[in-house]
Amino acid sequence: MTIRRWLAVGMVLLLSGCATGAKYEEVKSTIPALAPSEGRIYFYRPSALGAAVQPDIKLNGQKVGTAKPHGFYFVDRAPGNYEVSAATETEKKLTFTLAAGQERFVRLKIQIGLLVGRIVPELVDRTEAEGELKDLSFIAEPLK
Amino acid sequence: MGSGVRWMFLMALLGLGLSACAPEVVRRPTQVMPMADEPGASIEIVENASISVGPGYQRVIDRGSVWTRVGRSVEGDVFKPVDRVFTVEGAHIHEAYLVLDGDRVVGFYLPVERAFSPVPGGTGTRLSIRRRQP
Repeated sequence: MTIRRWLAVGMVLLLSGCATGAKYEEVKSTIPALAPSEGRIYFYRPSALGAAVQPDIKLNGQKVGTAKPHGFYFVDRAPGNYEVSAATETEKKLTFTLAAGQERFVRLKIQIGLLVGRIVPELVDRTEAEGELKDLSFIAEPLK
Repeated sequence: MGSGVRWMFLMALLGLGLSACAPEVVRRPTQVMPMADEPGASIEIVENASISVGPGYQRVIDRGSVWTRVGRSVEGDVFKPVDRVFTVEGAHIHEAYLVLDGDRVVGFYLPVERAFSPVPGGTGTRLSIRRRQP
């Protein structure tokens, strides 16, 4: 097999692990309004690097989805304190507060570890997040 | 493999290993009392400032960013960022507010943990700030 064929196979494998579907810009206007008594947390993974690494994403210990490359989803929760974790080679947690009517953005960043990649959840400004979200695909049912 | 390449490979492995084993952010419990005087007072950062927020981690306090005073702890005045986020980092990442003594950053308040985390190294960075009244 030539190098070009190997590269093509590699690209197919890489992209097959990525989220597909409607982009953020397309679904933005259809996203339901936030209930006044709740806050919203967006999760997104902008990079396809380490696409095979797709750990469960947990919010206060409860699974809310996976770290699918090029995908995003959101959950609505009551105001309070929250902890995001992604169990990979090592676990790095993120803690933050959520107020009623507030939207929070959590970027799931891939970091190369000793043996495999690991996912680091980072709290991101709205402006930065919206710039990265526009090319990502909505995962309507993140738990499947 | 040449000795130079081998050395670089070992250093890269060591770096990856250390980044996976960062120590916890140092912190102790504290209490923030809401400010009865000057509610809504805030500061604006006049010049970018780079500060250490954890073992090997830096953050830039951006020029033009606005921070509103939310209270006072025994360590200093507590300022929350307006329309942006701020975090400190070690083994884990924590949302944080600035704790200032005058214009000097003495540490960070972690609202989830209700704890104070002193600036690593003990000597806080002075910020160039403009005080704004509500």
